Amino acid sequence: MALTQKQRILDVVAGKQVDKVPFGARIDVWYNYHSAHDSLPAKYKGWSSTDIIADQGAAAQKRFFSVAKETYHDMEVVKRDEPPYEVTEYVTPLGMCSIKLIWSVNEGPWLAYEHEKLFKSEKDYPVIKYILEHTIPVFNEEYTKERKDMGERGIVMTGTGLWGPNQRVMREIMGYELFYNEYMDRPDKVDELMTAMMDLERKKLDICVDADIEIINLCANWSDDIHTPVFKEYFTPWFREANEKIHAAGKFSMAHADGEMRRLIPLYSETMLDIAEAVTPVPQTKCTMEEFRNGMGKHVTLWGGIPSIMFESDFSNKEFDDYIIKMLKAMKPGMRFIAGMADNLPIAADINRVGRVVELIEKYGKLPII
Amino acid sequence: MSNIAELVQKVIAGDWKDIARLTQAAVDSGMKTEDIVHQLQGGMEVVGQKYSSGEYFLPNMMKSARCMTIAFDVLKSAMKGIKIDSLGKIIIGTVKSDMHDIGKNIVVSFLKGVGFEVIDLGTDVSEEKFCEAIKREKPALVGLSSLLTTTMYEIGVVIKKLEETGLRSRVKVIAGGAPVTENFAKRMGADAYASDGGQAVAICKRLMQA
Repeated sequence: MALTQKQRILDVVAGKQVDKVPFGARIDVWYNYHSAHDSLPAKYKGWSSTDIIADQGAAAQKRFFSVAKETYHDMEVVKRDEPPYEVTEYVTPLGMCSIKLIWSVNEGPWLAYEHEKLFKSEKDYPVIKYILEHTIPVFNEEYTKERKDMGERGIVMTGTGLWGPNQRVMREIMGYELFYNEYMDRPDKVDELMTAMMDLERKKLDICVDADIEIINLCANWSDDIHTPVFKEYFTPWFREANEKIHAAGKFSMAHADGEMRRLIPLYSETMLDIAEAVTPVPQTKCTMEEFRNGMGKHVTLWGGIPSIMFESDFSNKEFDDYIIKMLKAMKPGMRFIAGMADNLPIAADINRVGRVVELIEKYGKLPII
Repeated sequence: MSNIAELVQKVIAGDWKDIARLTQAAVDSGMKTEDIVHQLQGGMEVVGQKYSSGEYFLPNMMKSARCMTIAFDVLKSAMKGIKIDSLGKIIIGTVKSDMHDIGKNIVVSFLKGVGFEVIDLGTDVSEEKFCEAIKREKPALVGLSSLLTTTMYEIGVVIKKLEETGLRSRVKVIAGGAPVTENFAKRMGADAYASDGGQAVAICKRLMQA
């Protein structure tokens, strides 16, 4: 019996040789933009993104929801609109902290950016620690719906959330520059915050491990000039701890590794992570696929390899085909490799190039690739 | 090692704890303030080179930038009435609909550190705002940053607007950001592309001489 898209992906991650390289496509930037602007191709008007990917013959991936959601206790959480911002205040017995979000217009109204982070100065440490200590994660029923909708057509790519505990502190709570200033000036307080965040994320991980999910996302969005200096201190121990649990439960782990990764590649192999998703090679970063493969080790499944800009008309059909064929050959014999966008289908892309990758895999991506 | 040499080494190493004392010692030694500033800027240039080569990371740059802030605080009174020539004026911003600022901020730190006058317009900057800032500030250079494939074409939109408003010939445009490649930047009409903050310094210097 032919493998389903989902089973083909899971078998590859498990190190089994399957019939052909899977193609796990991600089109949410393209889809959300064109849905918001009523500019989807006529054929696809009213379709879901998963239906479109399935129509193109690829495996789908779906994210931006998590298995566990956070509930807040012994504090007041007040949300209000201050156009164009959305402000959330966390009022605790120790004081108040707020976050100001702005929703991206260009990408469709689905992605929020922190215009003002939760952490603003030293006085916020005890308040944020209180918030984290009084946040209780619970199973997110929405996850079950998303998983059911995906079925065998691909993978729900989620877990505790978008980011691991350390990345949440660095990126979401503080922002990288403020994080490093605090790390220089008040390392003990940063450590305390990291510990409180890890305690919360540990509870979320337990919910994920118990849930009906095969691949658990543990982190995302690194850049080697930002994350390498603290990776061994903060990231590696968490990943190893999380992966002990995940592997004991017979599940796999992944991280969304779409940034410049050159100096992180050797550290990745120590994390016990099973998948590096959205690996982005030249010309969008300085790394080749061979460097990813050789540096991360044979036990890591590489998912990605097609820089998103290749899907745009700036690259001719021939340039696109040549790139895909070259990439497939570079990955021979093709074990533990899933083709994918790095990291998304751009707004100006030709959706039919998704189908073209599928065609080229039929011709050049049968396993083992010789 | 002389005070100034030690000071520069500390800037390169990002060791900020002794910077105030060493800067004051350089002033007390009778060294011209302009010369101290140029030596410090030379130190930041080395930091930029180390960042570009992959030896340094973001926190290295931040520590060195902190050293420069401390040194300039000490020099503030000595600099009164003295004109330190800037390497040139540049306005910089992240293009419309793009809220990312870390890459831009790294470039700003390096350019300021080596002696450029930098006007930072922030994030989500429309083509109209770039034009207004060019008219107001009369910079020699314009830096355009984009982190997303969804916003990288805004680089071309800004450059087109500069052409339509007759401002293009007044400035050189440098572009950069994660999805931006040299080919893409050139295709959008930029004069130059920089892959990181350290490289931006060398390229902005070259553009100033062109």
